[in-house]
Amino acid sequence: MFLHNLKYELLAALRVKAFIFWLLIFPMALGLFFKTAFIGIYEKNDMFSTVPCAVVLAEDNEALRTVVKSIESDEKPLFKASFVTDEEAKELLRKEEIEGIIYSEGGRLKLTVAGEGMNETLLKAFCDQYNANADVLTSTAVSDPAKLGEISEILMQEITTVKDNKLVNGNTDYYVEYFYNLIAMVALFGAQIGMTITINNQANLSALGARKNCSPTPKSVSVAASLVSRFAVQTLTMIVCVTFQHFVLGIDFGEHLLLVYLAAILAGILGVSLGFAVGSVGKGSRSTKEGITTAAIMFCCFLSGLMAANMKSILKEHVPFVNKINPAAVISDCFHCLNIYDNYDRFIEKLIVMAAMTFVFAFIGFILTRRRKYASL
Amino acid sequence: MENTVVKIDGLVKRYKDLTALDHLSLEIKEGEVFGLLGPNGSGKTTTINCLLSLLSFDKGEIEIFGKKMSPTAYDIKRDIGIIMQNVAVFEELTVYDNIDYFCGLYITDKEKRKQYVEEAIAFVGLEDFKKFYPKKLSGGLLRRLNIACGVAHKPKLIILDEPTVAVDPQSRNKILEGIEQLNQGGATVIYTSHYMEEVEQICTRIAIMDKGKKVAEGTKEELKKMIKNTETIKIEVRELTEEIRKKVSELPHVYLAEYKDSQLTVACSGGKHNLIRVLGVLQENELHIGRVYSELPTLNDVFLEITGKALRDKED
Repeated sequence: MFLHNLKYELLAALRVKAFIFWLLIFPMALGLFFKTAFIGIYEKNDMFSTVPCAVVLAEDNEALRTVVKSIESDEKPLFKASFVTDEEAKELLRKEEIEGIIYSEGGRLKLTVAGEGMNETLLKAFCDQYNANADVLTSTAVSDPAKLGEISEILMQEITTVKDNKLVNGNTDYYVEYFYNLIAMVALFGAQIGMTITINNQANLSALGARKNCSPTPKSVSVAASLVSRFAVQTLTMIVCVTFQHFVLGIDFGEHLLLVYLAAILAGILGVSLGFAVGSVGKGSRSTKEGITTAAIMFCCFLSGLMAANMKSILKEHVPFVNKINPAAVISDCFHCLNIYDNYDRFIEKLIVMAAMTFVFAFIGFILTRRRKYASL
Repeated sequence: MENTVVKIDGLVKRYKDLTALDHLSLEIKEGEVFGLLGPNGSGKTTTINCLLSLLSFDKGEIEIFGKKMSPTAYDIKRDIGIIMQNVAVFEELTVYDNIDYFCGLYITDKEKRKQYVEEAIAFVGLEDFKKFYPKKLSGGLLRRLNIACGVAHKPKLIILDEPTVAVDPQSRNKILEGIEQLNQGGATVIYTSHYMEEVEQICTRIAIMDKGKKVAEGTKEELKKMIKNTETIKIEVRELTEEIRKKVSELPHVYLAEYKDSQLTVACSGGKHNLIRVLGVLQENELHIGRVYSELPTLNDVFLEITGKALRDKED
């Protein structure tokens, strides 16, 4: 009986056009929109990692050559420096083949750039650091020449370690948060299909529910089959969503892709349960319940930062408990933890919170739909 | 003696101050096509919903197949087929899948179910529409699908709640023929409607309801005998004077004679040759007579006489 119900509930759920739009097409379109909007930022970030520049030496500077060589030998160098003449350097800058010219005169560095931006800032930071270190070495040579070698070694180490170091194996990119929130939104849109569980099984909400209630199939079996079918459909949706974002849009979810899938699936199941619970409250019409559910989802997503990335931080400062009970925030936090922390403790904690929320919502749904007779239809 | 299939005793259902069912009692025997006739809001659907244990009620007892009905009386539910007033099918499933789904809620044997589903499709004449989705079906075909979903498992008791609302005449006839066939196949049928012609056509026994009460019950012949009217004569005639109208009203067996909009309406109670006598009076006075009708009483007349109002509004 359960399998018979499940088979047709699955078939029916997979064919609802509104769900196909809201759960698949809309998030894909929004993902594309985000990607398009952030593409410039991504490209700039990519250039930040290797900045082309020219070095013009007024006199030979062995120390500078050593430092530059050391930086360039890194796996992902911050600079790519060319030692050229002044004319050649200016020509390269004019052609925009380099971001700046570093002049070495009297042991100190000067910088000439053609624009403003992260790359220019980085070059300036390097020059400032070099000059500061040169000053330290000069004063050490005067005050305590014996320590010159030791100081020189320390300073060299300091400069060569100025590189893009990842703390964890995730993607800490600020903009990837939008894609986490998008996954959270898709997961919560599962509430729409969760809501139909109640509508299709309650005699006071639909003729279909009334007919089912007249059959010899126990209501618990019918509701359980509906719930499992929605879980399955939403799981499929979440897999498609993450796959599309990662493999089609090229969003970097770090090196824990399988865990991203796991979190997304659990989030989707949470969304379905949320809809099941919301749909079970009160007797409103289908359209009323759909409206309430959609509004609730969008509000949760707004609070979690889908529309304004810093919203979660604002709430954390003023009303921290909101982030703890907002399913959208919990879901996006889960992804966040996966990419920020170098262990899984927080990630697992968030998964447990999601599982607990799922259980609570499903329990509420079951309790409220268990009613067998109605005062009015 | 015929077995009692449904027994409703002193059923009371209230919605706050409104009494939807007022001590309703019914007994339906095996093999009957029992009609629940009444205007909209008379309590027919409420009765059905209480019968099916969908609706709670304030007072009374309901027994089906000799057992007390309850939401968990699955053994009773197994033998009931329900055709709702509103079409209750999955929009996303084909005709075949819908029937198979609902049949599968009652029948677990796959082979048996397959056979039942094919029979139900043939029964409602949807053989050419098996792969169609409900959206692609006309109103009449959709109603037929609704019926197939309710009867595919071959129930002993079939409840039809206004199944022909907004249905074209062809589909309506097909549905009514189908109900008669189901009854001939051994099913007991409860049929609710506010269309008296349908109830007269197919029901073997009828209960007339108004304001949550049963106002009359019996076969259609028994119901018609309950009222004074046996014949209503309508004659198109011009310039009928009050004197002549009075003469008509004084004829034997005539208890009402009205003249309005060039039409004389004469209601008779019993007797024979009433029409000849009325026409005789008009001819004596050399009046020009137009069309003449003689109507036997209908269930509407029964309802009108018992409740003082028509069974259904003119727009119905």
